[in-house]
Amino acid sequence: MNTLNSSSAPAAGEYAGDEVAAIVLDPGYSSIRAGFAGEDVPKSVCPSFYGHIDSDSGSQYLYGENAIHTPASNLQIKNYWGSDGIVEDWDTAAKVWEYAITSRLTGARAGDPAKNGLNDGTKENGNGDAMEVDMETIENQEKPLEESPLLMTEPGWNPTKAREKAIEIAMEEWGTPAFYLQKTGVLAAFASGKASGIIIDVGASHTSVTPVLDGMVLKKGVQKSPLAGNFVSNQIRLGFKQSQPEIPLTPHYLVKSKTPVDAGMPAQAVYKTFDIPPTDSFRHYQEERVLTEYKESVVEIWPGPGRLSNGTNEEIAKNTPGRPFEMPDGWNQVFGVDRFRAAEGLFDANAALTDDANPRPKDEHTLPRLVQAAVQQVDADQRPLLLQNIVVTGGSTLLYKLGDRLNYEINALYPSTRNKLIAPGPVVERKYAAWIGGSILASLGSFHQLWISRKEYEEHGANIVEKRCR
Amino acid sequence: MASGRDVRDMLGLPMGGDGQKSAVQKRAKAAAPVRRIQGVAREVAALYGERPPPVAVYEEKKAYRAKRQNQGPAKKWVQQPFVNEARGDGLVLKHWRRKPTTAPPVQDGEDTLMKDGESAEPHVEKSTDFLKYSIQVDLPTFTDEEYDAYLRSDDWSREETDYLFEVVKDYSYRWAVIWDRYDYQPGSRSHLTQETDNADAGRAMAALPFAPTKQRTVEDLKARFYHISAKLMKLRIPEMQMDAEQYTLYETLSKFNPELEGNRKLLAAALMNRSMDEVKEEEFLLAELQRINMAANRLDAEREELRARLEHPSANQQVSAGLASFTSSQALQALFSQLFAQDRSKKRASGGGTGPSRISLNTNDLIQTPSSANAQLSAAARRQSMATNQSAQTPMRTLSPQQEHRYNVSTHDRLTSGVTFGSDKLLKMRQAKSNVQTQKIAAALAELGVSEVIPLPTSKVADVFEQLIGKVGKLLDVRKVREKEEGESRVLAQMKERRGSSGALGGESGGTSVEPQGKHEIPDSAEQTPGLDGEGDEDNDNDEDGDGDGDGDAEGEEDDEDAEGEEDSRVPSETVSRAASTAHKRSASVLSQGSVQSSKRARK
Ligand SMILES: Nc1ncnc2c1ncn2[C@@H]1O[C@H](COP(=O)(O)OP(=O)(O)O)[C@@H](O)[C@H]1O
Ligand SMILES: [Mg+2]
Repeated sequence: MNTLNSSSAPAAGEYAGDEVAAIVLDPGYSSIRAGFAGEDVPKSVCPSFYGHIDSDSGSQYLYGENAIHTPASNLQIKNYWGSDGIVEDWDTAAKVWEYAITSRLTGARAGDPAKNGLNDGTKENGNGDAMEVDMETIENQEKPLEESPLLMTEPGWNPTKAREKAIEIAMEEWGTPAFYLQKTGVLAAFASGKASGIIIDVGASHTSVTPVLDGMVLKKGVQKSPLAGNFVSNQIRLGFKQSQPEIPLTPHYLVKSKTPVDAGMPAQAVYKTFDIPPTDSFRHYQEERVLTEYKESVVEIWPGPGRLSNGTNEEIAKNTPGRPFEMPDGWNQVFGVDRFRAAEGLFDANAALTDDANPRPKDEHTLPRLVQAAVQQVDADQRPLLLQNIVVTGGSTLLYKLGDRLNYEINALYPSTRNKLIAPGPVVERKYAAWIGGSILASLGSFHQLWISRKEYEEHGANIVEKRCR
Repeated sequence: MASGRDVRDMLGLPMGGDGQKSAVQKRAKAAAPVRRIQGVAREVAALYGERPPPVAVYEEKKAYRAKRQNQGPAKKWVQQPFVNEARGDGLVLKHWRRKPTTAPPVQDGEDTLMKDGESAEPHVEKSTDFLKYSIQVDLPTFTDEEYDAYLRSDDWSREETDYLFEVVKDYSYRWAVIWDRYDYQPGSRSHLTQETDNADAGRAMAALPFAPTKQRTVEDLKARFYHISAKLMKLRIPEMQMDAEQYTLYETLSKFNPELEGNRKLLAAALMNRSMDEVKEEEFLLAELQRINMAANRLDAEREELRARLEHPSANQQVSAGLASFTSSQALQALFSQLFAQDRSKKRASGGGTGPSRISLNTNDLIQTPSSANAQLSAAARRQSMATNQSAQTPMRTLSPQQEHRYNVSTHDRLTSGVTFGSDKLLKMRQAKSNVQTQKIAAALAELGVSEVIPLPTSKVADVFEQLIGKVGKLLDVRKVREKEEGESRVLAQMKERRGSSGALGGESGGTSVEPQGKHEIPDSAEQTPGLDGEGDEDNDNDEDGDGDGDGDAEGEEDDEDAEGEEDSRVPSETVSRAASTAHKRSASVLSQGSVQSSKRARK
């Protein structure tokens, strides 16, 4: 990206860029992306999960990758997002976001390398303390964002209240001179160089389909569904549970040492013991990491034509070579047709594995139906244009062959239009598309006039986001 | 690569003994006694092996890196505060800029930068670079009086109209977005004040991801807006004074028909929502249609080709370019190669042709006559242009034919590589695409008394032989056509007989009855063509034509031996004489065939 000579200013109007050291913040269910506008990847990627330890001496909060993966007594892992894809716990959300920004972007100014968050994490109990110190110093400073305008992303269905809350936090708590809210769908489209299109974002907690026209979300068409990364994880868990014999899922932190075993044999490992073990939520979160690994390396989506359950498709799938996977405790297996079942539910509600806790997903929540519903809500004249620019983004779209299947399903839905899927190859661009789009937008000179300034905020109040960030 | 020394260093181990180190060095020296070749990449040098080539094949050149221009101390950059002129609130942002050299010196160090921010006084740049992107849309405006006088509507309140205009402005005429966001709450004066009035209701609405469907369609919104725009436009500029552009705009605005638009969109949506089967079917039908069209075209081309061939090309050439153009061997060769190419393309076309095309030959033949005359003209033009092209390409220095002969100079359009025997060439010429054709050619040659082996296959002989073969090929073609036509005419004759015997219908139209008869005559004449002499042929023709025409109209009879031009003018005149003229034309061409053959004989 940065091919410019660092010693000369870019020619005027060269790329319409005019960087004002703005910060772009893209909070998601699984991770928070933050970085300076104009850069090509977010400098700071923090988990959205945070640790909470309730002890006699009071509550302690842990933020950041290093802190929350360390097993500590009574450690609970929580997430500030609500089940509907809207921020629920605003106080913690603000803290986690602030941590994401200050730990890597602005906070390092203080300059003590032992405490700036970059070097902690090796000693087990040193973490929390370091964090605490960090937070304190931040609080002692004036306000963390006094220097930088802030561009934040939001889901397409964000209610007014949440939007107002966001600008309040940015203006009041962080003291940012200028603020803007933009929908992730629009930004993901920008990241692919499109101003119009349909953006399919399969994240962790939610899948959303957003029609965008000339950089504006068509609100009626925005669709969301809970069938996303977490759903796939749950499907994998169910698959493990329902398989004969049950497949054990042991996270890394429980394993002290392991010895290799043959495929399908019980693990031979030495496990760790804890006096006061971390809570179930911690274990669940750690299991989730293993499952993400499993998703990355084993899960495959039936690429079409037809569904996995159609005709002889399952037979064909059975005949493809399997993929091996080894659990942290050494248990390993080659996964055959089972690996196709884990994510089939995204496309075919009937194929989803179910039990008491995991009811059958709704038909209208499957990806093809979401796309159909979104297109249905768009003016008939614009539909072909949008279908020509279908941008695929979100971490869970990295599932192997998801693009192929999506392509098949959309072409089956709309056989008479020219449908084009735009799925950036690089993993970073897929996962961080919304942030990258924000980075592009906030570094444009023509964007300067769109910022909501502090003055305007003070004049009109928080409701100004509704008028300005359409 | 890290050496052992580096690793030791990193790990804090004591350095290895001196002896060991020197041993390493020594080994390295012993292993690398070869002189490094300079100026050659290491990889390339490695290819030389042990011994470098005796001659240095490289150019040793010293390359200097461009010297870094020292332009004094590093230039300073500052975070320059600026205001964007497009903003009304004077928001000060900062971007990195070269520190202006003229500005009063500021102290160095980070502190200054910090201070710059805090006490935003120093000098705030006015940024106008991006003003050009700040575009406002033009919107018609109206006063209260105007509204009351002209723009009232039963369906639209003044408030909603105002709201509509506001939304149109906000979303810059993007109707799809306007419709998407259109959310008029009656009772609130505008969407700007709406939040204060019934903020909660507004928010609840906005909070819903699926807003309830609006009563107003895009067409309703457009209709209202266009209607008002048109009226206002007329008020501002009377219709008479509008210039063309304004008037077309006015027209489109005032003629907007929401129902029509709505129906169009419904159709568009229906088109998009077709099922896979329907799309497949359409695709199939389109492909079928294309196939049929292509077959028809091919058939036409084939027919025309045939007609063009049946016209005597030499007559045309004589008319257009004169005999002189064929005195040189080059021109003759060009003519031949052109004929040959035609022949080949014809063969290819007929090779690709399928059964049905043959069957429908008859009707096509009747219908296509006028256009084939055209085609024939254009074919003549093509020939002419080819001939002129040929002469244009000849080299500057030309030898007279005598000289060429003397020096045995020959010119070729394209030379094949390698050496060939003249006899091979002759042999090859006897071969046709198909075995049957080859045999037929052989039979024809035998009939002409051309021996299998030609003793002296010089290039001249080859040329003549080639021409001969070409003609034989053509004759065979003609025979084939004749057989085809014969068959057709037989069928038609039978039909006619049947019709005649079946009832009064047969005798009813003299015009139609001409067709089969006229047709019937030609094959007879053609039948005799190969065997007979030129003269006899001609006579025969005349007689038979006369018979044929006698049934219909006698017009064609007199111009029997005439050039085509006259016939061309006559053909479109009436369809009744079509058959007759067809017959006539064919006889003329047959005549030319005969004459060609006679000349060939003479040459022999
Ligand atoms: N390579 C991969 N294959 C499959 N799923 C992945 C992959 N990488 C990440 N994921 C899943 O993607 C989700 C995170 O996607 P992301 O777009 O970052 O979500 P969010 O925007 O909600 O934070 C997680 O559920 C994670 O398990
Ligand atoms: Mg996301």
